[in-house]
Amino acid sequence: MNKKTKAILLNFLALISLFLLVTILMASGMLSNYLSNILVTVLITIIMTASLNVTTGLLGQLALGHAGFMAIGGYVSAIFTKNVAMDIGLSLPIALLLGGLAAALFGMLIGIPALRLQGDYLAIITLGFGEIIRVIIENLQITGGAAGLTRIARMSRVFSPDRTVSNIVQFAIVFWITVLVIASIFTLGRSRHGRAIISIRENAIAAEATGIPTTRYKLLAFTIAAFFAGLAGGLFAHQNGILVAKEFGFNKSIEYLVMVVLGGMGSITGSIIASFVLVALPEMLRALSEYRLIIYSLLLIIMMLFRPAGLLGTQEFSLLSFWEGMERFFHTVFRGKGEKTRMPFQPRYDVWNDKPVLETSKLGIAFGGLKAADNINIHLMNDEIVGLIGPNGAGKTTFFNLLTGVYLPTEGQVTLLGKPIMGKQTHEINQEGISRTFQNIRLFKSMSALDNIKVAFHSRMKYSPISGILRNSRCLSEERGIDIRARELLRVFSMEHEADTIAGSLPYGQQRKLEICRALASNPKVLLLDEPAAGMNPSETVELMNTIKLIRDQFAVAILLIEHDMKLVMGICERIYVLNYGKIIAQGTPAEIRNNPEVIAAYLGQEQVRPLEEARHA
Amino acid sequence: MTLFFSQLINGLHVGIIYALIALGYTMVYGIVKLINFAHGDIIMVGAYTAVITLVSLNVPPVVALLLTILVCVIFGVTIERVAYKPLRSSPRISSLITAIGVSMLLQNTALLVFGAASRPFPTIFSIPPLRFAGIQISFVTALTIVVSLVLMLLLQTFIKTSKAGKAMRAASEDYNTAQLMGINVNNTITLTFAIGCALAGIGAFLYVMAYPAVSPTMGSLPGLKAFIAAVLGGIGIIPGAMLGGVVMGIAESLTKAYISTQLSDAVVYGILIVVLLVKPTGLLGKQTREKV
Repeated sequence: MNKKTKAILLNFLALISLFLLVTILMASGMLSNYLSNILVTVLITIIMTASLNVTTGLLGQLALGHAGFMAIGGYVSAIFTKNVAMDIGLSLPIALLLGGLAAALFGMLIGIPALRLQGDYLAIITLGFGEIIRVIIENLQITGGAAGLTRIARMSRVFSPDRTVSNIVQFAIVFWITVLVIASIFTLGRSRHGRAIISIRENAIAAEATGIPTTRYKLLAFTIAAFFAGLAGGLFAHQNGILVAKEFGFNKSIEYLVMVVLGGMGSITGSIIASFVLVALPEMLRALSEYRLIIYSLLLIIMMLFRPAGLLGTQEFSLLSFWEGMERFFHTVFRGKGEKTRMPFQPRYDVWNDKPVLETSKLGIAFGGLKAADNINIHLMNDEIVGLIGPNGAGKTTFFNLLTGVYLPTEGQVTLLGKPIMGKQTHEINQEGISRTFQNIRLFKSMSALDNIKVAFHSRMKYSPISGILRNSRCLSEERGIDIRARELLRVFSMEHEADTIAGSLPYGQQRKLEICRALASNPKVLLLDEPAAGMNPSETVELMNTIKLIRDQFAVAILLIEHDMKLVMGICERIYVLNYGKIIAQGTPAEIRNNPEVIAAYLGQEQVRPLEEARHA
Repeated sequence: MTLFFSQLINGLHVGIIYALIALGYTMVYGIVKLINFAHGDIIMVGAYTAVITLVSLNVPPVVALLLTILVCVIFGVTIERVAYKPLRSSPRISSLITAIGVSMLLQNTALLVFGAASRPFPTIFSIPPLRFAGIQISFVTALTIVVSLVLMLLLQTFIKTSKAGKAMRAASEDYNTAQLMGINVNNTITLTFAIGCALAGIGAFLYVMAYPAVSPTMGSLPGLKAFIAAVLGGIGIIPGAMLGGVVMGIAESLTKAYISTQLSDAVVYGILIVVLLVKPTGLLGKQTREKV
C-alpha cells in the first residue's frame, strides 16, 4: 500500500467516523434537534455552493440565478411527494431525482441561449432568468402562489414517530448525498470533461482551437450545476416542509455566490468550509442579534480586502488525493494490479503524397467594404514547411483565422485531405486535422504543462462524463494512455521535467514551445504557426528552427508558418507565399522570393530596389 | 387612449429616475468594470438624509437637496477609497463581493439606527397637476422629468467637453494607457463615483417624492432595476443608461396597467433577456470581438 492510498483510506475512515460521531451525538441527545437541523442546512448549502462552483469556479462564468434552479428542484420534488401515494422512503428518492432532472432541464433550456453571452452580460441574464423563475412560481396555482407550498413531508418527522430517529435518518440521507455530490464534482473535475471545462475558463479561444467544443461544455457545466442545485432544492423542501418562492430570489443566489468567492473560486474544499462558516456564523452571533448582520458584512469586506482570492484560492484539500487513492486501492484489492493501459487513438497513417494536404481556392473575406483576404489560392504538400510572409496588416493572421474557422469566409473553399471543411466550427476543424498556435501566446495559464497537453488529447478520448464521474476502468485506462502520450510529447521537446509546472510560470521560450507541443497533441496533418519566433533572441530562434524541422520529421505534418524573422523563414521554408493587402503577390522558393521586385516593393516601398537580404544587413 | 398616455407619463417618471441612478452604475462600470451593488443603497442614504433634514432639522427643500447630494457624495467617495480602491488589481469578482458586503453593511446599519419601520416623506409641493389635452401630469412628475433631462444634458456636456470628462472617457477606454498619458486615474475614478452618487442623491430625492416611504432596504429594488436598465442600454455607455432606464420604466408601468401587477417584474426581466439575446451587449452596445 503506497503513501497516497493510506492517506486516502484515512480520509475515508475520517468521513465514516465523522458520520458515526454525529449520529451518536444525535442519538444521545447531546446534539439538539435545533443544532442537527442547522447541520443539515449546512450540508444542503455545501451542495449549493459546490455546484455553483462548477459554473463560477471551474467554468469561470459568473452566475447570479443559482437559487432559481434550487427553487425548481424544490418545487418539483415537493409536488411529487405531495401528490403521489407512495411510502416516503420510496417517493423521496424519486422526487429528489426528478427535482434534479427538472432543474437540469431548465439549466439546459436557459443555457442554450444564455451561454452565447459573455462575462457580466451572462451574469445579468442568469439573474434575469432566476428572477423570472421566481415570479412564475409565485403566479402558478400548483406551486401555491405567493403564499407558498405547505405541508410537505418533513424528513425529520416522517421516517419514525421518534423525532431523534427521524432526525438521524434525515442527517444520514443528506450527509451521504452531499458526499456523493462532492465526490462527483471532484472526479468530474479530474476527467477529460473537467479539463475541457477548466480550459474554457483559462482561454476560451485556445480551448476551441484545441478541439474542445466549448459551447457544448459550457452547457454541460451549467446543466450539471443546475442538477445538483435541484437536488439541494429537493432536500431543502423536505427539510423545511414549506417552500416560499420569495426565498429563492436574487439575494439567495448572491448569498451562495458570496460563499463560493469567500471559499475561493475553483476550490470545492473552500466552498465546503465557507458554507460551514457562513451558515454557522450568523447562528453563533445570534446572541448579538441586532449587530450580527453588521458584523457579518464587515467581516465580508475585511476578508475580501485581505484575501481577495478567497480562503483557499484554487487549492484543494487532500480529498482529491483521497479519491484517487481510493480507486487505486479498490483496483489493487478487487481486480488485481495488472490494469491494462489503453491507447485510445492511433496516429494518422493516411498516405497523401501526390495530392496537396491542404488547399484553398479563391478564399476571401470582406469586413464591410474591406477585403482582408481576397482570392487566396495556396496549397501545402505532405511534410512541407511553407512560409507566409507579408507586411503588418497584410492579412496573414486573418488567413489563419479563415483556415481554422474562427472567421467564416465570404467566398472560396478550404480543402483538407480532399474534404471541404469550410463552414465547420473551429473545434471540428481541429479534429479534422488543422492545429494552430497564436501570435500572442494562449496557454491555459493556471493549468500544468501536462494538463495543457492533455486538453488537446480531449477529442481522442471517448469516455463519457458519467464514466468520468465514476472513474470506471474505461476512463482510467484512457487517462493512463493519455498520460503516457502527453509525457512522451513533452519529452520530444525536452520539457518532461516541466510536466507539473504551471504553464503561466514557464519562461517565455518554453511557453511558445508548450503551445506548439499542445498543437501537436491533437495529431494534426497541418500545423499553423503564427509568428513562433516573436520575442525570441537569435539563439532561441536558431533553436526554434531546429524544433520546427524536428516536428516535420517526427510528426509527418505539413507546416505553414507566419513569421517576420527572415532568417528563420529563408532558413527553413521550402516555399514561401507573400501576402499584401489580402492578396497573394508572390510565391516561390526562398531564393525567388528574395529577388522578387514586387516583394521588395511591398516590404520596403516602391523606390527601393535593393534585394531584401542586402537591405536587412544594411 | 388617455389611460395609455397617462401610463406612459407615469412610466417616464419612474424610468427617468431609474436612468439617473443607472448613470452611476454605468459610469463606474465604464472605468473600473465593477458592478457597484452598493449604489442602490446610496439612494437609501440619500432618502434618509432628505427626510431627516426636512422633517427633523426643518430646513428648506433646496438646502435639504444640497445636503442630500453632499452626504451621498461623501458616502460614495469614502466607500470607493476604503473598500474598492485596495482591490483594483484583484480579480473583479472580489470587488463585486466587497460591493455586496458594503451594501449589506449600509442596509443593516440603517436598520440598527433607524429601525425597520418605514418613515413617511413629507409633501413638498402642493401645486395642482398640470393638464395637457386631457392628460393630467402631476407637478412632481413634470419636475422630475425636467430636472432629470437637464442633469443628463449637463452630464453629457461635461463628459464630452471638459478636461475631466475627457479623462473619464480615456480611463474607460483604456485604464493603463490613460495612466501613461499623465491622467491621474485615481482622482478620475473618485470623481466618477462622486458624480454617480450626486446623481443618485438627486434620484433619491425625486424617488421619495414619488414613493414617499423611507426604509433601510428601500434602495435594493430601484438599485437593481437601475442596474438592469444600465445593462439593457449597454453597460458603460451613458446614453444607453438613459435609454435603458426609460424603456424599463415605461415597460413596467404599461405592464402594471394592462397585464398584471404581479407580472411586471417578469416582463421587465423578460425584456432584458430578449434584448440581450438579440443584441448581446445591450441596446446601444457595440459588439466587440476578441482579437485572435
